[in-house]
Amino acid sequence: MKRNVAIIGGGQTYHAARRHDVNQVELVNEAVRASLSDADISLDEIDAILLGNMEFFEGTHLTDCWLVDGSGAYGKPGLKITTGGTVGATIVGAGVHHVASGLFDKVLCIGFEKQEEGDTGAILSAVAHPLYGRSVAGAAVGYFAMMGTSYMATWGATEIHSAIVAVKARQNARKNKYAHLKLDITVEDVLNSRMLAYPIRMLDMCPASNGACAMVLADEKTARDRCKKPVWIRALETVHNEQFELDWRDVSTSKPLFSRIGAERIYKRLGVRNPADYFDVFEIYEPATWAELVWYEDLGLCERGGGYKLIERGITEINGDIPVNPSGGVLSTNCIGASAMLRVWEATLQIRGEAGGHQVPREPKRALTTAYGGTNWTVLTALAKDLKD
Amino acid sequence: MNHDQELISIPCTVDIPYRFAAGKYLSRFLLELRDRGKFFGIRCPVCRRVQLPPRIVCAVCHTRNTEWVELGNEGSLMAFTIMYLPLTDPTTGKPHDPPFCYGSVKLDGSDSLLDYFLNIEPDISRVKVGMRMRAVLRPRDQRRGDLSDIKYFEPIE
Repeated sequence: MKRNVAIIGGGQTYHAARRHDVNQVELVNEAVRASLSDADISLDEIDAILLGNMEFFEGTHLTDCWLVDGSGAYGKPGLKITTGGTVGATIVGAGVHHVASGLFDKVLCIGFEKQEEGDTGAILSAVAHPLYGRSVAGAAVGYFAMMGTSYMATWGATEIHSAIVAVKARQNARKNKYAHLKLDITVEDVLNSRMLAYPIRMLDMCPASNGACAMVLADEKTARDRCKKPVWIRALETVHNEQFELDWRDVSTSKPLFSRIGAERIYKRLGVRNPADYFDVFEIYEPATWAELVWYEDLGLCERGGGYKLIERGITEINGDIPVNPSGGVLSTNCIGASAMLRVWEATLQIRGEAGGHQVPREPKRALTTAYGGTNWTVLTALAKDLKD
Repeated sequence: MNHDQELISIPCTVDIPYRFAAGKYLSRFLLELRDRGKFFGIRCPVCRRVQLPPRIVCAVCHTRNTEWVELGNEGSLMAFTIMYLPLTDPTTGKPHDPPFCYGSVKLDGSDSLLDYFLNIEPDISRVKVGMRMRAVLRPRDQRRGDLSDIKYFEPIE
C-alpha cells in the first residue's frame, strides 16, 4: 500500500429483530457516536464519510443523503457504497484506498441495515434476472440449501455437522453483548427446529437483524499520534464470479471460485504458507451453517471436503486451534449492510484484546475476515497488530 | 421523553414498472426455446466452456463468444432443495405451494448450472444429487419467450 492504514476506532449498535425505538438516522448515529468515542476523535476532524447498506432494503434510495444528520456527512466529502452482502467490507476497502492514496487522513466508514423496514425477499428477487431465473429467486435460504445438499452428497457430511456450526455460533453469541441471537441451544435443538428448505432448518439460518457498525480509519502518522492500539489493514482482496454462473453451490467443482481465488491472492500478497498457523482468528461471512464449512475449505484451513471434520473436532471454537467467528458471526447477527464490517470490527477487537466475553484467549496478532455478496463475490481483509506482519 | 409512547411506523409499497431488454444473445436463446423447443449454449473460442445462457463475452477470457451449441434437454442434478416456505414467485406475485423441489441442473454439454423447478415428490428419499433429469417444456401455444417456457425438470426413469 502507498501509505499504511490503521483502524483507530469503531463501534456498533446492539442488534435486534425490532428497533422501532430508532429510525434509520438514529440507528446510524448510534454506531457513529460509539466509533468516534472509541477513536477519541471529533466529527470535525473526520475528512470524509463513506456509508452503505443493501440497495433499497429499507425501501429508500440515496441513503447517504437521507442519513446525513446521523452519519455526520453534512458539509463533508463522501460516498454511498452498495455491493450486496459484502458492502460493509467494501466500505472499509474504499476507506483504506482513500487513506492509502493520501487523499484523506481520517475516514469514517458506516454500514447499516434496518431489515424490519423492508421486504428483503421481494427486493432480493429483483436482483435475479427477469427472464432467466427470477421465478425461483427471492430467498437466500434456497441457495444455501442447495450448497448443503451438494456438500452432503459430495463429502459425506450430515445435518449433524451443520447443526454443530449452528450451536457454536449461538453459544459464542451468548458471550457477545451486542449479538442478536444469543441462544443456549444444543445439536438436538437445531435438528428439531422447523425445516425451512431442506437441509436448512430455522436454526441453520441467520436472523434478520437491525443494526449498524462504524469504524474510523487513519493514516500511519495519525494512528501513531492518536491511538494506543491501532490495528493495521495489511491486505484486501475483492473477487467476483461471472453473471449467471451458480457454480459455487456445486461444492465438487474444480473451477477456481471467487472465494478460493481471493484467499490465494491475499496469502500470496502476505507470504502466507499455512493460513491456519498464520492467522490467529477468523471472522467469516456465514449466513447459513453450510457456508461456514465451505469457507474453512476455501480459505485452506483444511483440505477440500475436510470442513465438517474441523467442526466435528471443535478446532474452530473460541478456545480451539483455529478460532472462527468468536463473535457468533452472521448466523447470530445479520444486519446485512453492517455484517461484513462487523467481521472486520470484531477481528479488530480481537487483536486489541478487547472483545470481552468472546475474546480469543491466545492474544491474536493477525486476523482474516471474509464476506459474501450475493454468494457470488467476496471481499477478504487481513488485519494485524504490528505493521511488520 | 415518555418511553412508553406510541412509535409510529407506516406500511408503504413501491410498484415500479420497467421494461427489460434481453439483448440479441439472450433473445436468440429464448426464441429457440419458445419456437423450436431447443436449448442452445454458446462456446468460448479460448477456454471452450459452453455457457448457459448464451452471452456476448466469456467473462473469464474476455473473448467474444461466437459458436452456438445445441444442447439436449437432459442433464444431471447437481444440487437441490425442498422448499417449505411459501415463497412468492416474483414473476407472478403468487405464492408457490410448499413443499416443492427446485435445484441446479447441468444440461449435458453445458458447463453452467440452471436453477429450476423439479417435478419430484418433495420427499428426501426421492431426490438425489446426481439424478438424471429431463426438461419438460410447456405446449408451444403457452410459451412466452422466457425461462418459464420450461414447465419443470423431471427425473428420467
